[in-house]
Amino acid sequence: MKANLRMISITSAHKRRLISILLASALGLASLQSTAFDFKGALKDAVEKEIGQKSDSPAAPSEATSSSESAKANSTTASSEAAFNWKNPSTTEEISLGREIAGNLLGAAPLVKDAALQKYVNSVGRWVASQSERPELPWRFGVIESEDLNAFAAPGGYIMLTKGLYRKLQNEAQLAGVLGHEIAHVVKKHQLKVLQKQQLLSMGAGLLSDKYAKDNALISKAIGSGAEISARSLDKSAEYEADRLGLSYATRAGYEPYGLAEVLQTLGQSSSSDANVALLFKTHPHPDERLTALSESVGSQLDKITGKTLENRFYVLK
Amino acid sequence: MKHYLKHVLILSSLVPLLYAGVSAAAEKGSALKNDSLRSEPFADAKVTGSFTRGENLEIIKKQGAWLQVKAAKGSGWVRLLSVKRGAASTSNQAAGVLAVASGRAGTGQVISTTGVRGLSEQELKAAKFNEEEVKTLEGYTLSADKGRAFAKAGKLNSIAFKNLKEAKGGTQ
Repeated sequence: MKANLRMISITSAHKRRLISILLASALGLASLQSTAFDFKGALKDAVEKEIGQKSDSPAAPSEATSSSESAKANSTTASSEAAFNWKNPSTTEEISLGREIAGNLLGAAPLVKDAALQKYVNSVGRWVASQSERPELPWRFGVIESEDLNAFAAPGGYIMLTKGLYRKLQNEAQLAGVLGHEIAHVVKKHQLKVLQKQQLLSMGAGLLSDKYAKDNALISKAIGSGAEISARSLDKSAEYEADRLGLSYATRAGYEPYGLAEVLQTLGQSSSSDANVALLFKTHPHPDERLTALSESVGSQLDKITGKTLENRFYVLK
Repeated sequence: MKHYLKHVLILSSLVPLLYAGVSAAAEKGSALKNDSLRSEPFADAKVTGSFTRGENLEIIKKQGAWLQVKAAKGSGWVRLLSVKRGAASTSNQAAGVLAVASGRAGTGQVISTTGVRGLSEQELKAAKFNEEEVKTLEGYTLSADKGRAFAKAGKLNSIAFKNLKEAKGGTQ
């Protein structure tokens, strides 16, 4: 399998490689590698269309629906293995998936035992989330025990930031900016789409029909072991989008709009050799690149906006 | 003492690597819009000059959301987001070095990480679901009304502001 992976890694694009690996592991057959290429491309296009990432794809896959067969397939599953509609997950399914990921992440780093801190972060986060396109989600926020500088979002509204990152913040506007970035990941379903794509691909050709999309794949099987999913990179474009939206949400909430930019500036001054930013730097574009992208999008749109920084009520860690 | 020496060694070997090519010349930038230069990094500090959109600037120093720059008409502090930093090559260079340092170069995808302390990928992989902690986390969930009350207490007023769009032509 190792040699197999190396062979595949010759393909150029990141996405394609990830998909190849996933596909390879799904099929579990090395001999298919040489012939699977065209199939892979077709499969990828189909999956992207299925989960709405490709709106302009002209070829519509034939919908071979068969709900009775789907029910039959599901009847064999154990009670704990709830059916999960990977093709078009409901909000409830999205939240249960996020819960699983958040629980795993908390297994690696528990919540900071400071109720006042957690309540404060939830207050700020809830207000910023109310400015987003998905205010109805049950948003929850937590500061976790880690000196790393990072923040995480899981589907359905689970958002966590590390104590190390919190310590770097100087006011509420900066916290709002950071939480806004993570809220945007959830609103845009960035992680969910990655998981959907991965899962639908691992179901192979069956993705073209509902019966397989609704199959009995366990959530835990989909997200892999532990909380490794939290360490996975998203597309750069997803990070830039989250920066733009995060700034927008915090600004709409009445905060001084530069909070996120200030935090990015701080992060940019960390050396990449620092262990506590290793994962952040690995999974995100460099802060300088993010600031440049943000500047270009902002232009003069913030010129007349003043907001509050509220450093006076910023909760200081004990 | 030993620890200190080790630190110095690491620093002296890394710093030149990371900043080579960047520190050789002051960082270049260009103005994204017309703006004033100020004597200190505060919005109400005295105006010491100005620059116009598209003007080339020299970036002297960074502090928080502010940059100290030298423009044709004076020098002073300006908001971070008023200036496009560097020529495209500068940031790419920095990113390149960074990629090498993080093991990302060449592959575009992180496969493994070694010797990373903190919340490492290994730790995350080994993590076990913690029901109790999730319940605690969920226990902090607030309603939209509670959020609104919190905002009101801080005299935060929501304003109309459209979501920022990707800059035309994408990022450099």
